[in-house]
Amino acid sequence: MVSELDGSALLKGYAALPGAYDELVDAAGAPRPHARVATEMLEGLTPEAFQRCQSLAELSLVQQGVTFSVYSDQRGTEKVMPVCLVPRVMGAGEWARVERGLVQRLTALELFLDDVYGAQRTMREGVVPGEMVHKSKSFVPRLRGVRPAGGVRIHIAGVDLIRDPAGTLRVLEDNLRTPSGVSYVLENRQVTKRVFQHAMESGGVRRVDDYPSQLAEALRSVSPVDPDESTVVVLTPGPFNSAYFEHSFLARSMGLELVEASDLVVDGDDVFVRTTMGPRRVHVIYRRTDDAYIDPEFFRPDSLLGVPGLMRSWAKGRVALANAPGNGVADDKAIYPFVPDLIRFFLKEDPILEQVPTFVCARRDDRMYVVEHLGELVVKAVDEAGGYGMLMGPQSTAAEREKFRELVLAEPRKYIAQHRVELSTCPTWVPEHRRLEPRRVDLRPFVLASRSSGGPNRWVLPGGLTRVALREGSYVVNSSQGGGSKDTWVQFSQPGLSVAS
Amino acid sequence: MISRVADHCFWVGRYLDRAESTARLLQVTRALAFDAEMPTQAVWRPVVTVSGQYPDFRERFGDKSTGMGDSVQRYMTWAPENAVSIRSSIWGARESARSIREVLSLDIWQATNELYLWFVSEEAQKQYVLDRDEIYRQIRRQTQLSLGLVRSTMLHDTPMDILWLGVLLERIGQTARILDMHHYLLEDGADNHQPAGDEAGKHQIVQTALWLSLLRTCSGFEAFVRVHKGRVTGLDAVEFLLFEERFPRSLRYCVRSAVGLMRRIWPAELAAIGGAPLARLAALDAWLGERKHDLLASSIHDLLTHVVDEVALVCSEARHSMSGATSAPEPAADGPTQTQQ
Repeated sequence: MVSELDGSALLKGYAALPGAYDELVDAAGAPRPHARVATEMLEGLTPEAFQRCQSLAELSLVQQGVTFSVYSDQRGTEKVMPVCLVPRVMGAGEWARVERGLVQRLTALELFLDDVYGAQRTMREGVVPGEMVHKSKSFVPRLRGVRPAGGVRIHIAGVDLIRDPAGTLRVLEDNLRTPSGVSYVLENRQVTKRVFQHAMESGGVRRVDDYPSQLAEALRSVSPVDPDESTVVVLTPGPFNSAYFEHSFLARSMGLELVEASDLVVDGDDVFVRTTMGPRRVHVIYRRTDDAYIDPEFFRPDSLLGVPGLMRSWAKGRVALANAPGNGVADDKAIYPFVPDLIRFFLKEDPILEQVPTFVCARRDDRMYVVEHLGELVVKAVDEAGGYGMLMGPQSTAAEREKFRELVLAEPRKYIAQHRVELSTCPTWVPEHRRLEPRRVDLRPFVLASRSSGGPNRWVLPGGLTRVALREGSYVVNSSQGGGSKDTWVQFSQPGLSVAS
Repeated sequence: MISRVADHCFWVGRYLDRAESTARLLQVTRALAFDAEMPTQAVWRPVVTVSGQYPDFRERFGDKSTGMGDSVQRYMTWAPENAVSIRSSIWGARESARSIREVLSLDIWQATNELYLWFVSEEAQKQYVLDRDEIYRQIRRQTQLSLGLVRSTMLHDTPMDILWLGVLLERIGQTARILDMHHYLLEDGADNHQPAGDEAGKHQIVQTALWLSLLRTCSGFEAFVRVHKGRVTGLDAVEFLLFEERFPRSLRYCVRSAVGLMRRIWPAELAAIGGAPLARLAALDAWLGERKHDLLASSIHDLLTHVVDEVALVCSEARHSMSGATSAPEPAADGPTQTQQ
């Protein structure tokens, strides 16, 4: 058994990036103990063999149509989310802590949403400045007083984690609206299992394939009627949506109907789906549409999209929507800096997970620091997502910095700033060089919540989506901008006891 | 079953069968062009005519016989602007399948997706130039694979019944149109009083080649020869493709099976929703049964026209029924329901 990098094959000559933490090897280049399951597998492969596996994996994704689309002409420019077969591995002990941290964080965020749309104690008692809530584009004041069916608001959460050079995992962002990416987790595992059959059989890697059944259970649990008698559907914007594959994938693997808005109709206070046998009542909707396109009567009178009357039905508790409308206020970048305080306020505990230290430009001292150090900071507009309205200080021009200085001073509430975190890396296959090189990664674990008497009961999918910036030197992991993904292996606490499936 | 999903199932069936019949028709017509010693236009124009695309075709390519074989094949195989080209059919099948992947089995989706990816690849373009027969064979094989997987991997339930209803209704229309392609030869009275001498011999060759090709187009050659002990006459061939209850591509067989499917999809208690198309198709079945006994060469064109018209009405009524509505149908566009965008 090869236990060190003795140069037999793939990891030979792999050098971690100076100043960044590598997920699989330590600073001296030796495999981290929990990552052996992966490094030993890699050492058994020559670059040629690995390239063969990689091609096999890509072919299988194309054939299955695991694509996101940027198109809709007949040429069908669809892309496969690139996958790198070298897995990212998490140790059992660390993962247990992450799980506790995520449950803690989401419990607090759930209580915060209940509070924002209820008593608003957090604002009255100054835990969160009122204007941060009231000025958030995602805050929907008209929903105040609505208790959702089943009592859950954050049914499905995706929390983005990054690891700093010291090896500390930090929360970068919460996604409490319609987080996507879980289908890649499941598909990547399918591919890894097929290609690295042997390693997976002996590896003691925790399974991910029960996510669909956990999700289906969670959705049924919030039904306003008997869960076993409930009709649950997945609502998609349609095949033109870039995440359509995932919507279809989830519906298929849960055995639920995938519907579009035009399939649903509200009659009285109940929601129905049009079927070949006439209308049928719907009790739970896993909606993958944005708030703005749920119900034109409620959100966007000018819009033709959505289901007229759906919000009325939801507000009366006749149908459950997952996730609940209005959640965006809690994952707003303006609220992010206050989440540790929210955890302390609601749970009387210290936060288990760190987050990235953040300057809140609405605070005078922070603002002064930010405008004087724009060249070192990443400045983010709070209501924007996906890299829009952002200043990458270290790469910026003087003109860009000047523009942001004015923007920040004109509307301080709209901006936060952070020092750029040197994301951790993971060995990643670079086809042009036919070898492994370090590339930056993040991690999006998924957390489900179901109804239970003492407040929502949460379950964390072991691992989650590891996204990787495939371009050398890049920090951008988004699939639309040259990002790919990796399978994430969470080690069993007692290796060898069980088999991944 | 969700109405929009039902509609897409219906169209997956129709498009797949349409791609297959078109490939078959082109493949067989190529063979005919070599065998029948007929003028190019007489061989190729009917292919476009039966598809209902002749005016559009003439506008784009003219009506000269030189090169007509090639333009017809290109137009019917590749043209995206031709709504019934193989390309449009495969694209349509795949797009409909894509919208209902959670209802189809993974196998069906993969086979259909692979068909599409292969068809738009450079490899297929090259093959079209180098070995055209093979490309049509491949399309037939692949569509048959998808359709076979429908029966062998999908839950035998309403979605499959609706998909298969689409296949059968499309097939009825296609078979009727293909039969209509050369009906004038029967009306010439070719079987009764033929010209004499050499002319007669030549005419007979053309005739036989045509009927054989017709049977091949409908995959009915072997079955026909078995039933008729090798003797080929025009009227027998047409009768076989119209009425042979044991042959799965005959009109009678397809109409019957479609009636059976509709009874399963909309049982008696749902008559308010699915009663209209069912009644129309059952009437067509009975009508065909009566025609069997008084088939005349001269009436074949009328018979086929009636079948094509009725089936078009059944299709539009069935799609209205799939919406679950009990009101009278509004005229529907010829294509699957579009997603809101």
